[in-house]
Amino acid sequence: MTLRSRRKPMAGARHQIRKNLLDSLGIETKMRRCNPSSGFYRALTCGATLLLCAASAQAEGIPIPHGTLELIARNQWIVAGHTLDLGLRFQLEKGWHIYWVNPGDSGEPPRVEWQLPTGLTIGAMEWPTPRRLETSSIVDYGYEDAVLLIVPLHAAASLAVQPPVQLGAEVRLLVCSHEMCIPGKAELSLTLPIKSQPPAPDAQTLDADLFTATRKSLPRPAPGNWKFSVADANDSFVLTANLGHQITQAIFFPLAESQIENAAPQKLLPVAAGFRLTLRKSDRLLKPIARLKGVLVLSADRSYLIDVPLSKPGAARSSSGIGIHPVQSLKEGRQI
Amino acid sequence: MKRSTLYLMLVALVLCAAPPLISAAKVGAAAPDFRGTASNGKTFRLSDYRGKYVVLEWHNNGCPFVRKQYNSGNMQRLQKQWTSQGVVWFTILSSAPGKQGYATASEENDYMAKMQAVPTAALLDPTGEIGHLYDAKTSPQMVVINPQGVVIYDGAIDDKPTTDLNDVPGATNYVSLALQQAMAGKQVETSATRPYGCSVKYADAKH
Repeated sequence: MTLRSRRKPMAGARHQIRKNLLDSLGIETKMRRCNPSSGFYRALTCGATLLLCAASAQAEGIPIPHGTLELIARNQWIVAGHTLDLGLRFQLEKGWHIYWVNPGDSGEPPRVEWQLPTGLTIGAMEWPTPRRLETSSIVDYGYEDAVLLIVPLHAAASLAVQPPVQLGAEVRLLVCSHEMCIPGKAELSLTLPIKSQPPAPDAQTLDADLFTATRKSLPRPAPGNWKFSVADANDSFVLTANLGHQITQAIFFPLAESQIENAAPQKLLPVAAGFRLTLRKSDRLLKPIARLKGVLVLSADRSYLIDVPLSKPGAARSSSGIGIHPVQSLKEGRQI
Repeated sequence: MKRSTLYLMLVALVLCAAPPLISAAKVGAAAPDFRGTASNGKTFRLSDYRGKYVVLEWHNNGCPFVRKQYNSGNMQRLQKQWTSQGVVWFTILSSAPGKQGYATASEENDYMAKMQAVPTAALLDPTGEIGHLYDAKTSPQMVVINPQGVVIYDGAIDDKPTTDLNDVPGATNYVSLALQQAMAGKQVETSATRPYGCSVKYADAKH
């Protein structure tokens, strides 16, 4: 087998991995397939392809407990004075998950230590919208199947054109099922040249559309004309949203730990111009909080970053109005 | 008429919702009493230890966060340090049979001997009764109860929510801090934290 004939199946495997990821984002892609034409040859090449697919899928990512992890880039080179998206691509076996920046009741998010040449710096990790991972008594926030965590790499304008440089990332992570957790560590590296000209479209890697799709799905800032308020209502926070239209579905993911009781049901009350969402306070919240910050998910492809200051206690009382909910009246009843 | 309906509804609400609120352990509130059978066969009742500080440690020997504490020797050190000062230390196993961390009495005794663990007792809680009473979410979740029977700390063992053994030496231990401050007659500064770790492996669907 020549080198060239070996490349195709590997590219096929890459596409398969990409497809899994894109599927998890709910996006369809066209895929190159193994499409041989005749009898014996078909059986032979298909078998060989499958083997190579399996082998290359292994080679593409570093093994982690119950999955693989790979460091990838949007473009084939770094440009001085520009930012390049890097990504940590996780592939997990069914039933296993990793954690969001706020892991919820248990677990811990992946932590990365970068080893970078001078002139290159890493920006803040972009966390896609997590899922609620529920067991009988707790709720965690994380990712199942596949996820791409994007990390922007900033190249200083003064950076000289260079032959390929090595980017290193040491990742510590915890992979869990509902039954058990396994800690893992992966040493990742990626070698990219530094060039002076900005990359043309053909300088994108095979993973570019995965980056595009992931970026598109990231929680975005809420539109400026949406109005939010948060009232402190004894045992709960009541998040009121005025979006100009009725909302019948909403889930809130808090960025800070121990603000709300993760496992408590979030009670949604649709109102004409938006919704009211009741979030039970965490038992571990002993001091008042100034702001409620997190990700508000309205549907599979609509999630927003919100950062809402708490209303003054007086205002909270009047805004909660007639919507007295059981926990509030119970507490007042017991105090009398 | 309307007023009395409202009143009835309120009473119904109080009746329906009150028990879990009263029984759940909360910092600053009375620690719910329990009776537990230890791996050494003895029965222990929390209220028998009024007048002493009591530490509750949720345990699962397969959880990497717990292994970090035991493999580094840190948990055993804490047990030794505090029980020698008269603190009662209960290690509690709330994993259901067949789940990670479940152990029979003899398995737990073997484990403690091998790890040189020295709690006052290891309580076997396969039904999860004690765990649910304290709303224990993770292992190693820690609870500290003062001599008056009030919960003065509930949460993580320390401020390093990782599974890395190297993180033990530099960590601030919240259990020791709570005990030191309370014994010195001070207010416990950090009395509630997120109890990081593995989820407690309770029996499925309780209700």
